[in-house]
Amino acid sequence: MARLIRTEKEVEGRFEEVWIVVEEDPLEQWPEGPLEVVGKPAARTDGHERVRGEARYTADLKLPGMLQAAVLRSPHAHAKVKRIDLAPALALPGVRAAIGPGEAHGLEEEAGFQGAAVAAVAADTFGQARAAVEAIDVEWEELEVVLDPDDAVKRELLTAEPRTYERGDVEKALAQADVVVEATYRTQTVLHNSMETHQALCEWQGDTLHVYISTQFIWGIRQAVSDTLGLPEDRVRVVCEFMGGGFGSKNGPDEYTYVAAELAKRTGRPVRCALTRREEHTSAGNRNATLQRLRAGARSDGTIVAFDGEFTNSVGWSGWNASTEGPMKMLYDCENVRTVTYGAKLNTPPMKAFRAPGFVEGTFGLECLVDELAAKLDIDPLELRRRNYASSNDGTPFSSKNLEQCYRQAEPHWERRHEVHSRSDAVWKRGVGMASQIWYGGGGPPSYAWVRLGSDGRATVITAMQDIGTGTRTAMAQIAAEELGIALDHVDVELGDSARGPYASISAGSSTLPSMGPAVRAAAADAREQVEDIAEQRDMPKDTPLHEIVAVLEESQILGKGARGPNPTGMSVLTFGVHVVEVAVDVETGEVCVERVAAIHDVGRIVNPLGASSQVEGGIIQGIGHTLSEERLLDPETGRILTTSLDSYRMPTIADVPEIVCEFVDRPDEHLTNLGSKGLGEPPIVPIAAAIANAIRDATGADVHELPISREEMLRALREAEERAREKEKRGAPATV
Amino acid sequence: MELLRPSSVEELEGGVFLHGGSEVVPLLREGLLEAEQLVDIRGVVPRGIHDGTVGAGTTLAELEVEPAIPEALREACRLAASPQLRNVSSLGGNLLQSTRCWYWRLDYPCRLHGGDRCHARDGEHREHAIFANDFCASAHPSDVAASLVALGARLRTNRREFPVEDLYRLPDEADRGTTTLEDGELLLDVELPAVESSVYLKAMDRKRWSFPQVGVAAARHADGSTRIALAGVAPIPWRIESVDDLDAATPLPRTEWKVPLAQALVRRALAQLG
Repeated sequence: MARLIRTEKEVEGRFEEVWIVVEEDPLEQWPEGPLEVVGKPAARTDGHERVRGEARYTADLKLPGMLQAAVLRSPHAHAKVKRIDLAPALALPGVRAAIGPGEAHGLEEEAGFQGAAVAAVAADTFGQARAAVEAIDVEWEELEVVLDPDDAVKRELLTAEPRTYERGDVEKALAQADVVVEATYRTQTVLHNSMETHQALCEWQGDTLHVYISTQFIWGIRQAVSDTLGLPEDRVRVVCEFMGGGFGSKNGPDEYTYVAAELAKRTGRPVRCALTRREEHTSAGNRNATLQRLRAGARSDGTIVAFDGEFTNSVGWSGWNASTEGPMKMLYDCENVRTVTYGAKLNTPPMKAFRAPGFVEGTFGLECLVDELAAKLDIDPLELRRRNYASSNDGTPFSSKNLEQCYRQAEPHWERRHEVHSRSDAVWKRGVGMASQIWYGGGGPPSYAWVRLGSDGRATVITAMQDIGTGTRTAMAQIAAEELGIALDHVDVELGDSARGPYASISAGSSTLPSMGPAVRAAAADAREQVEDIAEQRDMPKDTPLHEIVAVLEESQILGKGARGPNPTGMSVLTFGVHVVEVAVDVETGEVCVERVAAIHDVGRIVNPLGASSQVEGGIIQGIGHTLSEERLLDPETGRILTTSLDSYRMPTIADVPEIVCEFVDRPDEHLTNLGSKGLGEPPIVPIAAAIANAIRDATGADVHELPISREEMLRALREAEERAREKEKRGAPATV
Repeated sequence: MELLRPSSVEELEGGVFLHGGSEVVPLLREGLLEAEQLVDIRGVVPRGIHDGTVGAGTTLAELEVEPAIPEALREACRLAASPQLRNVSSLGGNLLQSTRCWYWRLDYPCRLHGGDRCHARDGEHREHAIFANDFCASAHPSDVAASLVALGARLRTNRREFPVEDLYRLPDEADRGTTTLEDGELLLDVELPAVESSVYLKAMDRKRWSFPQVGVAAARHADGSTRIALAGVAPIPWRIESVDDLDAATPLPRTEWKVPLAQALVRRALAQLG
């Protein structure tokens, strides 16, 4: 039975109050541990399709008569169009239409960052469109460029009101603390660099707009496009069958979708608007840089009594102020916490969600600070974390929390540090570090699925969700197969088209599995109950296999319907984990080698251990790039982007990938849905930077305070540690007579 | 654009030379190089290794697996680029590649492009030079060039023969070029003298597929002398006599870190020479 409730909806750590219709979730959870299909490793059901090149991504689509669009983008970090003339573009061969500021959503006269969209052209070929864009005659008025986040905060150039939080009395607690540590951490701007660039292909059929798009949220695109263009939602069809990566940067339609839709309308032809790799580096979003001024105080027994944090997010021209302070508020049991978070409005490209936005950056600061505290207290870092274990989220109970079990599983990895230390020599210093992880990942309603069963004993899961490359098709098929009691290869999954299935959740905020999985299971259970009814009517024994029962169906089909039930009320649904990292540091050249990562995560029930390990490995590799080599650089004078290609923007290669050991607690969250599963997309990237930095401290005594830990930063930290050691020696030495 | 495919040196007249294309094609695409005629020189430039002479058309992939090639050059090839790039990149093309300076690559009107300032000096220069960086702070990207300088290699073109260091010149007000090749002059062969031992060490910002932050080539020659050459520290491959010469470096604020790095690598390279 459906009921209307007012509830708090969380995506990427952002909360909003919404009214939603939820359906009851009457199914009992399956018992803990591996079942017939769920909980056992399954290779991707679409793996062969993908590697053979048969999977059709948005980038592969070609429609008859399709035109290619190119976008004129601001070369200046802050400028206004004084005059624009599209005529020279329209005069060029192959050009079919050109639009300027105000003629499509996202094309604007004032450009607040280099790469802001201003005008666009559709032509027969991309080369022609590009040439036409270059022919557009623009006169710019250059405006003041603000790039320094501290300067922006001082001048109150903010994207939103500063966000403040306080519990207890921080100043008093710090004054009474036995030990206080204080440090400033900086994290850099990094780029998502999805393999498939941001793109949409739009076609009008009558007054229906078909949007083929590389997206993480089919239904979000449908709603945003219908709102912006003033179309009824059913007049917008959104398709995304296969998708080449998003990492948070493809949650909304963006200017390229509106450009394609408008140019398609004007030309009466399908129009593709796809970003180039260069545009991907200027105009597709980023993980914003942060500045974190942190303090922590503790009693000599290791009880943390205060956390104080001032966070500045370099949000850019627009975007939102991510919860960089989140881990400080939630990870530990600490009575006195005070945070303020500024969102600096700068003439830099807008941030977008990037795999656990805010928490990746905030965990780097917090977990490095906690290790500096452990060093000062002379307490084992694992022990210090245990002594400050949070048993509730500031009074709100957790729906489930097995971080202590993660710590237990981490012990053998942590114990390796003695052996790791013994392998150090004069040049290569080896060490082990750890960091804990907290993040959301509970998903939520509404989300729906259907399951169709035919007389051949095969089932098809139908839902208009997207598989963003995380193995969603496989996991959904496993859940349906388990519930129906049939083999995995007897289940097909049809997804990726808003016209061919019910509403489905966003694939962001680690929510795909926890949102969609329970709906798929409910639909399969509904189908199974109908099959059982038929068996009963035919007087078949209770254990008759499904394929024998449905064999009587002939042309008839069974349709099961399922919905995601509500989240538990009055509980915090969060994911937890810990990473233990082994590094080697060449103390003469500043080279850092990550040699081994043990990742233990608590995300409820694991549906596909193979897919889950692959998520963990991907998150860690992406995190190693964030920690060691990636950085988007700007010219400090003009604010123009310097790292516009994969030559100057350095992502890790396979040679940079260490041994990765994945472990899961694999205990269903008894309060969360019929599945007990949380999401795993984001958790693995959260603790890796801090764990690497803490391993570096363990190996060398150097405190790293900046990402990326380049050789420049590593050599600086080593020099500082050396000076500190010399100072200490001097102070400790007997006074000369 | 016209593509010519001459089969002898005599047929060459002007145009932009193209061998593997791993440098020229991106430069053409970015508009940093313009060409009415593109000359595919694969039918002209010798390829392969004969005693101490290496055809300038030999790929880096072919060099890295050849036991007769001195270790410094083999290692420089192994550590350059990616396997895919090494399969097409020629030795000659590698020596003539342009700087990776982002300002130059993004076509800022910098000194190398004929302008009147070095944007990197005042701007973002963390990957730039620590020597001879007053006029232009770009860093030479070729691992192979540094190793050939240390090895004392000689080059033969269609017009002359000379030591590899003489291929390079520092840019100045009058001439913004970084090589001494004339129009229509084509690298044909590299002659490698026998050396007692040689080594190439390279610091990168990831394990593979990166240009040198600092590359150090060192070779012990038959006459007992040692030659050291560095990549990534000056607008051209840079020779030093000893580690002490690094004391004379003139780093920019954000390239200071390269000095201790170069010192460590030079010491290591010399120790490895034995």
